Amino acid sequence: MAAKRVETGRGRRSRVVSEQRRSSRPFAIALGVIAIVGVLALAWSVARPKRGVTDVDLKADPAQARGYLLGDSTAPLQIMEFADFECPACAQFATLTEPDVRKALIQTGKAGWRYYDFPLPMHQNTWDASNAAACADEQGKFWEMHDMLFANQDRWNGEATSSPKDVFKGYAQSLGLDVPKWEACYDADKYRSRVAANRAEAERRHIESTPTFIIGGKMIPGALNYDQFMKYVSDWQQSQGAAAPNATTNTVPNAAKPGGTKP
Amino acid sequence: MLAALLALVGLFVAVYLTLYKIGVIGQLVCAAGSCETVQTSRWAVFLGAPVAAWGVGYYVVVLAMAMAGTTERWEDSSALSTAMLVITAWGALFSLWLTSLELFVIHAICQWCVGSATIAVALFVVSLLDWRETRLLDRDEPASPAPAAPAA
Repeated sequence: MAAKRVETGRGRRSRVVSEQRRSSRPFAIALGVIAIVGVLALAWSVARPKRGVTDVDLKADPAQARGYLLGDSTAPLQIMEFADFECPACAQFATLTEPDVRKALIQTGKAGWRYYDFPLPMHQNTWDASNAAACADEQGKFWEMHDMLFANQDRWNGEATSSPKDVFKGYAQSLGLDVPKWEACYDADKYRSRVAANRAEAERRHIESTPTFIIGGKMIPGALNYDQFMKYVSDWQQSQGAAAPNATTNTVPNAAKPGGTKP
Repeated sequence: MLAALLALVGLFVAVYLTLYKIGVIGQLVCAAGSCETVQTSRWAVFLGAPVAAWGVGYYVVVLAMAMAGTTERWEDSSALSTAMLVITAWGALFSLWLTSLELFVIHAICQWCVGSATIAVALFVVSLLDWRETRLLDRDEPASPAPAAPAA
């Protein structure tokens, strides 16, 4: 079969080459079409609004769930985070970006932060993780458990185990919680309704991915890096300065109490 | 020719994912699945650079080789054919590894990544067929008249 292709002696694939010459125009056209379509698609992607950022008016539409508060609920800027303990992007944000954001905004009193559980259906152990964190909150250590869960996500997620309780119990112990009390809370799934309320808040706001943040009237999906995050904060600060230099906009949910993280 | 077309499509997919990864594109078009989960996972970076950026380099090399293979000078080259086979085999294996990570570790599927993996496997298949044909031609060569010197 291959020998039949070698007829003229001008190159081993003379016939193939001549066939290719005949078919080179369709090839060039196909290549050109792909190139044009590709460039146009990339141009469209670059030009479209970033990250599907949408406006949110929290004064008109305050949160109906409390979430978990970090920092001062009366700080000028209130930030909401909707996240899933088993989501890798959320863990990336929590471990890489959030510590710096806390130093810059929370510890300085410039902002308050609320975490809302948004357990996603594809994550096997995320409800259990939210349960573990809620029970830690009962003893005033939600954020310690939050940090522990995200930092060690690969040790308790659905890939690592189908029964993460023992891992969580170890975290409760290392955080100095009253373990029997925590365990009783965990086994009773005591705060399921609270987690469900946080999730309902995310669904009510049509949040489609985790993590999603609400920063000063903008809802932003995706694991932002530090610079991206602070850009939204400075944009908000500038808009506040331009609108009313001394105004403070408290976007704390109506139900929230200063400093309180209890359900 | 088919390899060049596939490589060009793959190049655009890789550029798209790279632009997302470096923040130029804000949101991936992802009708189903979890593109952002995959792209923001720790597996989206390889040896300090985004996996998608490695993909860009890979497809540029494969596209250049495939385009060279359409020229009369390189059309017969068994060396080029073998090189294509090796590099596309590596690309296909690497893509399959990444897809397995999506399925079994990240538990999220990125359509664009799967699309790129499909292209990588298709490139390997095309390269394999071309390599086989080149081997057959090499085997037949002694029976054929001496070929003219390749054009410079």
